[in-house]
Amino acid sequence: MGQSWKENHALYLIVVGALAWLVPGAGHYILNERTRAVVIFIALTLTFLVGVYVGSIGVIDPVNAKPWYAAQVMNSPLVMILGRVGATGNYPVYGRAGEIGQIYTSIAGLLNLLCIVNAIYMAHLHVVEETGA
Amino acid sequence: MTILTMFILGSFTIPMRVATTPASMLWLLPLVVTISVVYKATKVGRMRLWSFAKESAVLFGSILVFIVVAALILYGLAWIATGQLPSLLSGSTF
Repeated sequence: MGQSWKENHALYLIVVGALAWLVPGAGHYILNERTRAVVIFIALTLTFLVGVYVGSIGVIDPVNAKPWYAAQVMNSPLVMILGRVGATGNYPVYGRAGEIGQIYTSIAGLLNLLCIVNAIYMAHLHVVEETGA
Repeated sequence: MTILTMFILGSFTIPMRVATTPASMLWLLPLVVTISVVYKATKVGRMRLWSFAKESAVLFGSILVFIVVAALILYGLAWIATGQLPSLLSGSTF
């Protein structure tokens, strides 16, 4: 990533934020925080997958569980594709497994929101350090 | 598509059997691990394995202690409200 790219400060932060949303940890990866990125990616992906495995793909339901879906979609925009599948109603969700699935996937999404904000803040600090502003 | 792939994808379409027993509360442990690891990953200055693992473990323990304390307080309140309070009220002179 060249210096000219970082000159457009706002665009740079938006790209970092968008990458962090697209793939958990990618925002940190682009900032050369490789270990941090790998830890975030593994932890969040695993939590999300465990949630979907326990509760079934139906836990991602943009129609009947909108508040949960709002948190789940913070994992990645790719969750919207799963949401379309889950909204068909063909996948059963019930009982304690459904609750655990919703909680796991939603907490993973909220943690990714924390990571997105952190990646943007770190990118801002990098630019400030480099420009000396 | 191999049978194994189909089996793995298929296992994501049916909920697991999780009984509503006290043991099902143990499902919170992996979630607490994730929360402490990801939170610490955003907070530590430099990612060094030992210090990162130590800080994550401390946070994990703190969250767990807080949950246990909250559970004990709620259990105590429920015990008073359902076990002690009715007998006190029925035995009163009013």
